[in-house]
Amino acid sequence: MKDLILKLAGYVAPSGSESAVQEALLELVKDVADEVYTDALGNGIAKKSGNGPHVALAAHADEAGVMVIHIEDEGFLRVISVGDVKAQALVGRHVKFTNGVTGVVGVESKVKLEDISFDNLYVDIGAENGDVAKSKVYIGLSGVALEPVVDIDEHKLAGRALDNRVGCAIAIEAFRQAAAAGHNVSLVFTSQQTVGARGAKTAAFQLQPDLAIVVDAVPAGDMPQATRMDLKLGAGPAVKIMDGTAIVPLKVKDHLIETAKKEGIDIQYEVWPRGLSDAGSIQLSVDGIPVGGVSYPARYVGNTSTMVDLRDAEAAVRLIVEAIRSY
Amino acid sequence: MLLKKLTEAMGPSGFEDEIRNVIREEVTPYVDKHYTDVLGTLICEKGVNKNGPRVMLDAHMDEVGLMIVHVEENGLLRFRPLGGIDPRVLVSKPVQIGPQKRFGVIGAKPIHLQSPEERTKPLSLKQLYIDIGAKDKDDALSAVKLGDVAMFTTKYEEIGDHCAKAKSFDDRVGCAVLVETLKAQFDLPLYGAFTVQEEIGLRGAGPVAYRLQPDIAIALEGTVCFDVADAPGHGQSTIMGKGPALTVHDGQTIANRRFLEFMMSVAEKYSIPYQLRRVKGGSNDYGAIHKVREGIIGGGISVPVRYIHAPTQLISLDDYQNTIRLVSAILTELAKGGFTA
Repeated sequence: MKDLILKLAGYVAPSGSESAVQEALLELVKDVADEVYTDALGNGIAKKSGNGPHVALAAHADEAGVMVIHIEDEGFLRVISVGDVKAQALVGRHVKFTNGVTGVVGVESKVKLEDISFDNLYVDIGAENGDVAKSKVYIGLSGVALEPVVDIDEHKLAGRALDNRVGCAIAIEAFRQAAAAGHNVSLVFTSQQTVGARGAKTAAFQLQPDLAIVVDAVPAGDMPQATRMDLKLGAGPAVKIMDGTAIVPLKVKDHLIETAKKEGIDIQYEVWPRGLSDAGSIQLSVDGIPVGGVSYPARYVGNTSTMVDLRDAEAAVRLIVEAIRSY
Repeated sequence: MLLKKLTEAMGPSGFEDEIRNVIREEVTPYVDKHYTDVLGTLICEKGVNKNGPRVMLDAHMDEVGLMIVHVEENGLLRFRPLGGIDPRVLVSKPVQIGPQKRFGVIGAKPIHLQSPEERTKPLSLKQLYIDIGAKDKDDALSAVKLGDVAMFTTKYEEIGDHCAKAKSFDDRVGCAVLVETLKAQFDLPLYGAFTVQEEIGLRGAGPVAYRLQPDIAIALEGTVCFDVADAPGHGQSTIMGKGPALTVHDGQTIANRRFLEFMMSVAEKYSIPYQLRRVKGGSNDYGAIHKVREGIIGGGISVPVRYIHAPTQLISLDDYQNTIRLVSAILTELAKGGFTA
């Protein structure tokens, strides 16, 4: 699973520019699926018909990033955020665009750290002037702040895009196992989650599953004076109770908790009142879709580097597969 | 004069009756069929049995306005904004209220009576009221009901170098582009949707897209333009006179790059000036439309509007004409199979 995560984290996929990662993701499930395709909003979808109720897994493929909105005559780029990226966090970092062009984020002098906004930032791609810059990039081109994924210890990884390529890896493993076992499953690598769970809405409309399980990161709270969150890294996947977009229906929540008990999988409980996920968009699609969530705790969610524990991800796969089998 | 008729008609969000009647009268001779949905969106059909992609063009009829929510004992009216209005632009502006279009003025304490501290602070909504010259509450209520809406009163005029000023270019300029487009002939199934309640959350556009299920949808808008003193290149959004602005990213949409590049290539092929809308904030009806059903491909084309959402707005008539040309060229190319949704 680690190799899979490392491979997936290598893709640059800011919201709205997911096509490269989608192609790679669908390639990983194509052999067990009846059908794979991408849709109008950029979702990557795999379907496998089989026995029992139709369960859809949803993991967002996108990440927050930046987009070029202005190219200065001197060759420097001005950018806006795509999703929730803090301007301060970008200063001095490398940015890589989806076409491979890289640059350094600079900030105008005379701006205090706390006052830094995207208005004061620029990306330096080494272009001598605006024409050179325009030959390399264009307005609307998106990129991400780079941060390599590193091994922290035997079980832990830290780096960019682990939120939510870890979720994609969990969903891939679970889908493959459930499909091989003959279950009626589909898988959506959702697009445009970080800008408001847009892809999940149209994907849910297409699939209209009997149950949808969202696989995503949830912030751990086991750091010094962390924002209060009763979740620990390495203590097992978290069953979503509620987040800022959805309250999980009792039946779905109970099913996931009971499944974990029967299988002897240690779980935690996700209560994340301000959390944003695909769950709400799916739940309110069509005439209402039963939705649940299996999340992996991650430290520093929303920052350039997040830390995860692979044991949580592996246990999440077991929980999801068993939950599909017994639903 | 179409722009004059459309911009001067009344139609704050949720109260689009008058503007809808004006538009209906304009389009009736040119469309096969028109009808209104439950929210009030005016839907026009033209050649819907033709072959080719089903295209929905959208322009919202509603404008930002004010709603009367309380009458003071002395006859002064308290109000709330409908849509995003900067309270700092309201002082001393004339308004017209309700179906009877009763005149009023947004009043405030004269400078003579203000303390030095008051003079340094902009007035908030709480300190503003509309004065309709009523002698007391009963007198005011004989002319205005609670829940009535008010609009700005700026008249349309052409000024300067191919420019025009009016209220509500957002989005009556889009409505005008759509009316002109419906007058022409295209070899594809075309739907025109004059939507409601855009300014309070893109509410009318979703249901109409759900109903029509177009293959391609384009929102026609008036959009933010701040190409004025001291605005840096990345703070302007659009430049007046540089042509229709195509959306790359806004508060509700990330452009579908393939469709954006299609629109850009059409503009280049027909030598129509265009620009990209370069700002993160704001949105248009396509933000609601693209998330409907399985997802709908399309985009946004806007006429730059200086002083948008304020009582007097300014556009370039060249931008207006070039937007009509661009929409026409896009439909022509779509009819020829230039883009596969």
